[in-house]
Amino acid sequence: MALLSMHGVSKRFGAVTALQGVDFTLEAGEVHALVGENGAGKSTLMKILAGVQPPDEGHMQLGGDDVRFSSVQEAQARGVVMVYQELALVPTLSVAENLFLGRLPRFVDYGALRTRARTLLAQVDLHLDPDTEVARLSIGERQLVEIARALAREGRVLILDEPTAALASTETDRLFEIITRVKASGVSVVYISHRLEEVFRIADRVTVLRDGALVGTRTVADTNAEQVIEMMVGSSVHRYERPARVRERVVGTFEVTERDLRPVRITLHAGEIVGLAGVIGSGRERVLPCAFGLRGSARWNDAAIGSPRDAIKAGIVLVPSDRKTQGLVVGLSVEANLSLATLGRLQRFGFMRAGAVRAQSRHWIERLSLRPPDPDKAVWELSGGNQQKVVIAKALATEPEVLLLDEPTRGVDVGARAELYDVIDDLSSRGLALLLSSSDTEELLGLSDRILVFREGRVTAELQPPYDYEEVVAHVTGAHQLA
Amino acid sequence: MSLARINWRELLARFGLVLALLALVIILSAMSDRFLTQSNIINVLRQISINAIIAAGMTVVIIGRGIDLSVGSLLALTGVVGASLAVGGLPAGVAIAAALGLGLAMGVFNGAFVAYAGIAPFIVTLAGLTIFRGMALAFTDGRPVSGLPPAFMTIGYGSFLGLPVPIWIMLGFLVVTHVILRYTALGRAVYAIGGNEEAARLSGIPVRRVVLFTFAYSGLAAAIASMVLTGRLNSAQPSAGVMFELDAIAAVVVGGTSLFGGKGGVFGTLIGALIIGVINNGMNLLNVPSFYQQIVKGGVILTALLIERLVSARRT
Ligand SMILES: Nc1ncnc2c1ncn2[C@@H]1O[C@H](COP(=O)(O)OP(=O)(O)OP(=O)(O)O)[C@@H](O)[C@H]1O
Ligand SMILES: [Mg+2]
Repeated sequence: MALLSMHGVSKRFGAVTALQGVDFTLEAGEVHALVGENGAGKSTLMKILAGVQPPDEGHMQLGGDDVRFSSVQEAQARGVVMVYQELALVPTLSVAENLFLGRLPRFVDYGALRTRARTLLAQVDLHLDPDTEVARLSIGERQLVEIARALAREGRVLILDEPTAALASTETDRLFEIITRVKASGVSVVYISHRLEEVFRIADRVTVLRDGALVGTRTVADTNAEQVIEMMVGSSVHRYERPARVRERVVGTFEVTERDLRPVRITLHAGEIVGLAGVIGSGRERVLPCAFGLRGSARWNDAAIGSPRDAIKAGIVLVPSDRKTQGLVVGLSVEANLSLATLGRLQRFGFMRAGAVRAQSRHWIERLSLRPPDPDKAVWELSGGNQQKVVIAKALATEPEVLLLDEPTRGVDVGARAELYDVIDDLSSRGLALLLSSSDTEELLGLSDRILVFREGRVTAELQPPYDYEEVVAHVTGAHQLA
Repeated sequence: MSLARINWRELLARFGLVLALLALVIILSAMSDRFLTQSNIINVLRQISINAIIAAGMTVVIIGRGIDLSVGSLLALTGVVGASLAVGGLPAGVAIAAALGLGLAMGVFNGAFVAYAGIAPFIVTLAGLTIFRGMALAFTDGRPVSGLPPAFMTIGYGSFLGLPVPIWIMLGFLVVTHVILRYTALGRAVYAIGGNEEAARLSGIPVRRVVLFTFAYSGLAAAIASMVLTGRLNSAQPSAGVMFELDAIAAVVVGGTSLFGGKGGVFGTLIGALIIGVINNGMNLLNVPSFYQQIVKGGVILTALLIERLVSARRT
């Protein structure tokens, strides 16, 4: 008998039906992948399981007992632990405290806390001072801290909601080792991801959701990627291929540097997409925040960029990697968010031009196929992938000369990715220069006119198309050095 | 080179307050030879004790990203109730315990509206500010309560090991608050909620109960401060404690606790209360007219926040 089963689970948010009579089972010691397009209901289903929100209908059985969790504590008490898609750490507290948040003993012994934190961090191969404030960590490091925290709870059901979205390939390998290990100890893992190659690497079974309904569950050994994609989208998706381009007009040159990054010069040409590759900690993830004036120091065509305002004046816009804390005002509507970066253009004598605002939001909602296509919807009501579309649209609305894309498709599904790639391609063919920083190698290969590889705080290789996938990975991981 | 600068900055961020206090002390002792005397130092500590106690409770609330505007009125209410019970014949200890219990209960009242009804702390405690004041006035018909048993005199004027009792009470309460905030799961939960409430909830922290606690604690602090004040005045006034909430908030923010929650501590609050107290005391010694004293006090609060901003700017 299954360890866990959910029957006929439904959930509505106002007029939106997020889940409709979904069945889901989990065997003891299996890795069960949950896939589906943005807004399919994956996170909602798992949040119900983790006690974050109650279902409207349906029931659950865990270990043979009927259960109904009304809080996260109750679910955790029964051994259900979740790592959320939207990072859930407290930035003002230390790494150690975050690791034991909600489980601190009545009296805190900081020495013991630190020691235990080090052990846990070592499990995810993260060698940080446990006293570091979380606000100082990169997204990837935070993700690993969250995973370490979930492991610390020693549950029997571990839910990972897009854990690799911010991880580079070596960190992903490490995560998979961890998953294999906990699985061997009898823990069941639910693995949500948009990256099918991962699903086929790690999962025993895969369940596909579409528009809040169950499409089906398959044994991974008995299916293939095409079949799963078809289940997800109901039709086939075209793969994005990038034609070769000629570099002509120079738009400008960046010079950026930071504590963990040696000075780098990057010259951008009109219509060029420069990819930045490298694992977390390689310095790659520091380049775009620097270039946008958020940290370190940056010059663009010999003018200092000391703040985002300087950057925007120079025609440079950033799509930040953490949409929740940096990209969006989640309490405001889609339309309000879209107009945030273009307030100047959308007003006359200080009054917002309602017509222009509406026209702008309609334009971008349609162009990026935002779902639901409702400009008045609050951003927090959208699924993760759709939120990301809003961030990108907001930046594009300023009609910049240079666009900095930091993990632009983090948590965005296959279909929406293709749409975003089309938009990016369209923008570059209109002369926009792009810097693309990504943990997704395939994305870099598919989009970049050249790729700068970062390792140990500096550029160690510049690669030109046609790319050899394995060669790029070898450069990124440093395996090249060994050969 | 950048390393050196960062260290310097962090040093300043950590010890800047203490340095500011030291600077003040040095300046004032140069300007008045009555300032740096043992009796005047004890005098300053006793003067700040009431504000520091209230501010310690306020610190807990503010770290949890709340605010408590009702403390001044609650001080008056718990004072008149406690005093009346004692005058009416209850043993002083029981009357004081009842007053503290009342403070706790009214804090729970505030906290329940914030945590369970989801109403903004500013609004709830603004309502509390007028309700508690009204209750204090109605209870006494607007008249002060006097004729207190000698136990209250001991609280106000007694001394122990050479230090006045109010200072001991203040130090004790600050230490307890510090221990709760820093060394208990409950205290760390307050920081977590102030830093990122959603993350705290998802981590399995009982957010509502913790928020309730912060307001209850602030209510208790107001009641303790009230007993000290009642002892000092040897009577309880229904009009006591007007604007005390603002002095407490000032001490908290001058002490480096962020109004946005998640950061700060009660040590800073003590320094904040000392800075304000030292300035008040210094201006009295120098015979600065009270109108100007208010202007200076406001200026100090702004300056402290400005410095804190400059020091912590671009630190993340
Ligand atoms: N708190 C909420 N309030 C309103 N609507 C919500 C809420 N949470 C989710 N939804 C809606 O429910 C649907 C399912 O969302 P969910 O987050 O489960 O999707 P998902 O499959 O995890 O998508 P993604 O891959 O983009 O993360 C979406 O239409 C979303 O807009
Ligand atoms: Mg999701």
